[in-house]
Order: sequence, then C-alpha cells, then structure tokens
Amino acid sequence: MALLETDGLVKEFGGLVATDDVNLTVNEDERVSIIGPNGAGKSTLINLITRRLDPTEGDIRFKGESIVKMEPHEVVQRGVSKSFQTASIFPDLTVRENAEIAALAAERGSFGFDFLTHRRKLHGVHEVAADTLDAVGLLDRAETPAEDLPYGDKRRLEIGIALASEPDLLLMDEPTAGMSPEETRSTVDLIEEVKERMGLTFVLVEHDMEIVFSISDRIVVLNRGRVIAEGTPDEIRGDEQVQEAYLGGVEL
Amino acid sequence: MSDETQDATAQGAAPSEGVAEKEGFAGYELDTAREPVVVGATALFVLVFPYVFARMPVVSGILQGYQGLATLMLIWGIFALGFDLLLGYTGLLSFGHAAFWGGSAYAAGVFSQFAAESLGFEAGPVIIVVVGTLFAVLLAWGLGFLSLRRGGIYFSILTLAFAQMMFYLSSAPLSGITGGENGFTAVTVGHLFGVFELESELPSVLGTLMGTWLYAFVGLMTVVSVAVAYRILNSPYGMVFRAIRENEQRTEFVGLNVWRYKLMSFVISGAFAGVAGSLFTIHGNYVPLQSLYWTESGEIVIMAVLGGAGSLFGPMLGAGIYLYFENIVSGVRDLTVPFTDIVLLQGFGEYWHLLLGVLFVLVVWFFPRGIWGLFQDLRNRVTGGDSAAETGGER
Repeated sequence: MALLETDGLVKEFGGLVATDDVNLTVNEDERVSIIGPNGAGKSTLINLITRRLDPTEGDIRFKGESIVKMEPHEVVQRGVSKSFQTASIFPDLTVRENAEIAALAAERGSFGFDFLTHRRKLHGVHEVAADTLDAVGLLDRAETPAEDLPYGDKRRLEIGIALASEPDLLLMDEPTAGMSPEETRSTVDLIEEVKERMGLTFVLVEHDMEIVFSISDRIVVLNRGRVIAEGTPDEIRGDEQVQEAYLGGVEL
Repeated sequence: MSDETQDATAQGAAPSEGVAEKEGFAGYELDTAREPVVVGATALFVLVFPYVFARMPVVSGILQGYQGLATLMLIWGIFALGFDLLLGYTGLLSFGHAAFWGGSAYAAGVFSQFAAESLGFEAGPVIIVVVGTLFAVLLAWGLGFLSLRRGGIYFSILTLAFAQMMFYLSSAPLSGITGGENGFTAVTVGHLFGVFELESELPSVLGTLMGTWLYAFVGLMTVVSVAVAYRILNSPYGMVFRAIRENEQRTEFVGLNVWRYKLMSFVISGAFAGVAGSLFTIHGNYVPLQSLYWTESGEIVIMAVLGGAGSLFGPMLGAGIYLYFENIVSGVRDLTVPFTDIVLLQGFGEYWHLLLGVLFVLVVWFFPRGIWGLFQDLRNRVTGGDSAAETGGER
C-alpha cells in the first residue's frame, strides 16, 4: 500500500525549478533512498513533504490524504517525522528531555491545556522516551545536557528525537553528514537496527553510496529536479543514464 | 551526576512511582520532593521579610527599609516572575507588558468604583484581583494573537506599539473613565473577606513579622504565584517553553503547535502581570497613568535580566534590587565612610539611575545568568559542584 505519494510536484524559486514534476510513491515497509548530485533538489523534495516549503504545483498525499494545506506539526502528528541534516537538538535540555519533547507530542498531541499537570505523571511519555534512548544507545547519558554530547552522539540524539515522535514514515536528510568513519558506521548500524526493530518505512537522502546501496530497497535518482531513474540498487548500479548524469560515467 | 541520582533511587526510592522511573529516569522523585520545599521556603521568606527589612533592630537600620516598600517589592516580584516565563523560558522579549500591568491596574480600579457606585458594595481585594487578572488574560490573548504573528525584534516592537496605544487611549480618549493624566483616583477597596481592614495590624506575632493585612494578602498571592509558576515549569509546558527557546523549528517538527504554546506563554505571563497590577491598585489606592507607559515595560525587562532570566527566583530578586535602588538608595543624601561623618560624595542618591546602570552592565558582562545565577554558582562551588538535583527542575 502506498504510504506517501507525490503527484506532479513542482517547486520554483523565482526562475529556478528546484523540483520538476516529481511523481514519487513510497510503499509501507519500504526503504527508499533519494540520491543525486548537489543541487538536484533532494532537500527541496524533503522540505516539501515536511511542509517546510509550499509547492508551486502538485499534490502530496500521506495515507491517501492530501497534506499540502497542513501546518508542519500537523504533518508530524499524522506520522511523518524528519531527522535534520545538522544536529538539530535542544542543547540546554538534558538528553532525556530532548526525547521527552518528541514523545510528548506523540503521546499527547500537538497542544494541550495541561500546564498544571506535573510532568512526573506523564508515564507514557517517560516510557517512549526511555525506549527511544535505549534504541539509540543514549539511555545511560539521559541526564547529560545535550550540548555536552560529542558530535556523533548529538546526531544519534537527533535521530532519537525523530524516532520518539513515533512516526510511520521517517525522512532522514543525510544522517551521516559530517561524521567520522567510525561514527558513520555506528549510525548505519543504528539505522539497520531501527529498521529491524521498528519495521519503519523510511526515505533517506544520502551522499555516501556505500550506505545507500547497502540499506535501500529502492533508489530514486534526481537530477535538476527531475526523477531520471528509479529501481532496486542493482538496477540503479547498471543504469547508464545514472552513471552518465550523476556518477560521471565511473564504473561502480 | 547520573550515577548519583541512580544511587539515590536504589537506596531510598519510593516503590509507588517505580514503574515509570524503572529505566534510569530518577529525576522525577527529586522533583516531587522539591515542590513543597520551594513553596515552603517562599512562604518562610514572605513571613519574615517585612520584619527583617523594616523593623528588626540593627539590620533594618542598615537597610533603611519600610513596610510599604516590602509590599511593593512582592507585587513587582509577581510581575517579574510571570514576565520571566515569557522572556527567560520561552525566549520571547515582550516590550509591552505595561499593557497588562497598567491595564489590569485600571481594570481593578474601575471595577472597584463601579461596584461601590453602581452595585452598592465595596469590592474586596480577592474579587478585585480576579477581575483585574481576567482583564489582563483577555487583553493578553488579543495582543498576543496580533503580536506573535511576527518573531524576534518585530514581536518586541509590536508589543511596544500596542502598549503605547493603551497609554494614549487612557491618557485622552478614555480620560472620562481613567482620569487621564491625573490617574485614576476613585479606587474603593473593601475589607479582606469582608472582615479585615487591609491597613490594620495583624494580631500578635504575625503583626510583628508581617505588619498589615495588606501585606499578608500580597504575601499569600506571592506564595500562590510561586507555587503556580513552579508547577508550570515542571509541567509539559515548562519543557515545551524551553524547547521553543532552544530550537523553535525543531519543536514544530516534533509535532508541537509552537504558535499556540507561544500564545499560552504570553497569556500566562499576562495573567501574572494582571495579578500584580491589581495588587498594585489595592496597595496604592490609586492608578497612575505612568503604569501604562513604556518605561514600565522597560523596568520589568531590566528587573528580569538583572536578577537572572530563566530562573524561578532571579527576576523576583531583580525586582527587589531595582525597587531598593529606586526608593532607598535614591534617598541617601551623602555617601559617608561607614560609622563616621566623613563625606565621600554629596548628593549621592541622585545618582541612583547611574549606579543601577553600572550594576546592570556589570551583571550582564560578568554574570549573564544574573545575580541569582551568580548565587547558584557560588553555592555550587561551596557544596562541591553537584547541582543536578538542585537546578534540574527549573533550569
């Protein structure tokens, strides 16, 4: 079943067409990677889906429902979560609180009038936050202020925040950008683990081809805002157009 | 730090809360124990403050304090406490909180006149505070709705503009109600609970400690305000406010309606300003036009930052220090060498603005977390640095 569909999606910035008539379908339990050279429109596409940007034309449907008129938080509430390219965390809050913020939104909705409820009573929130921190391996650092974490752990926390909002679809924008090789490896392991454990559908935007080919079910190749190829890792590996446009003809 | 808190759980944990905290989240049991401590300490302070400040031998002589100023300090303290929920915790700088302070002061005064002249009863302080606060809440809802359309400096400017509109409205077009430049003089405050005259002395030892019923009422409102504010900080709101301050975009992208939480932060801080403004009317039996002027908005910002924005008690301390300079230091005629008659500087008190300005600059330069933050650092140094349990809940 199609979880996410984009229908003739176009985004123009002035004269520049960043996303050009993209029809993308992501099925449930599918792992899709979006690749393409710099400026291919990958991040724009993600930002359109998360409602950070308004499309010029076209429709985006999640679980069959159009989301182009919604606020970003409403899209998250319906089950689309995003991990950012940089470690977008809450630096002054503890690791535990970082996870709890996201868990709060998942458990209690986008808004409530519970300003006189002591947070120790939010048992569901504590459990989700604890489970998530356990999953990303940060539970033993729960009381550390987030800004004191090393960079790799901040990125793990960032993914943890995205997971704690209990998404059906996780969009990951270059989860290994700026990481050391060791950190990259452990993040890939983390993604693999999450994939196993939570049976998550995700869309990954990534530069590192090794990662893309190892963890995707399907790869979508963008160039100048257009989808130029789509298929399994093996099909993409053999696609001449992809090698020409994106990989510069280098054999993989 | 986390090791210590986990040990504490293992040794002395109450099993009743054990289910949720099973996986290393020990902080909440400490929170539970801290709430009565914070409220109790506030109550104790409120109980002895006027005595120490205005009547205690030697100490009050040095401090030069007086009863009325002690009351005024608590009133501004409530205002600063609520303002800090917006500035220190949510990270929104309103430059128009005079609208809620002065607005509720006028609402309280006008209501008391209306009750006395048209309804035929003298409104007691409780109902006056309720009416004034309600007015401030509704006003904050409206102004917040309009001002929060824009972020950053534009938000500040919008709040300033709306507050100045209120000032001009009450200075001329509405002067029939507000008394214009003369201020509102027809305040009629009844007895507390219909029994106790506000200016009369409290019985026996309470009279020695707290002085008047008026102070006792203001003190009670202060304790209630601290309790409510502390609870808000430990509620989901406290976390969401700080999340918005830290990273507004991320807060939106975990699925929280940032706009509505910001509006609530604005309204809640407006409510505290409303309580304070109403008490100000009761305290002074008069509403000056000045109470809506932009300088009041500026003063509350200075108080909060001086004392320490982003802490529970810092802004209240800042309010106290500000008022001390304004009312006591300004009255010191000559600066002398202590215990002698050697005059160092004549007309010392006239420089109180300058002194306060220098103090403000020094604090902002060297102690960005304010004077309260400085105290916390000193205490942590003395006690060996572990403050996870002490600062965790309200940081």
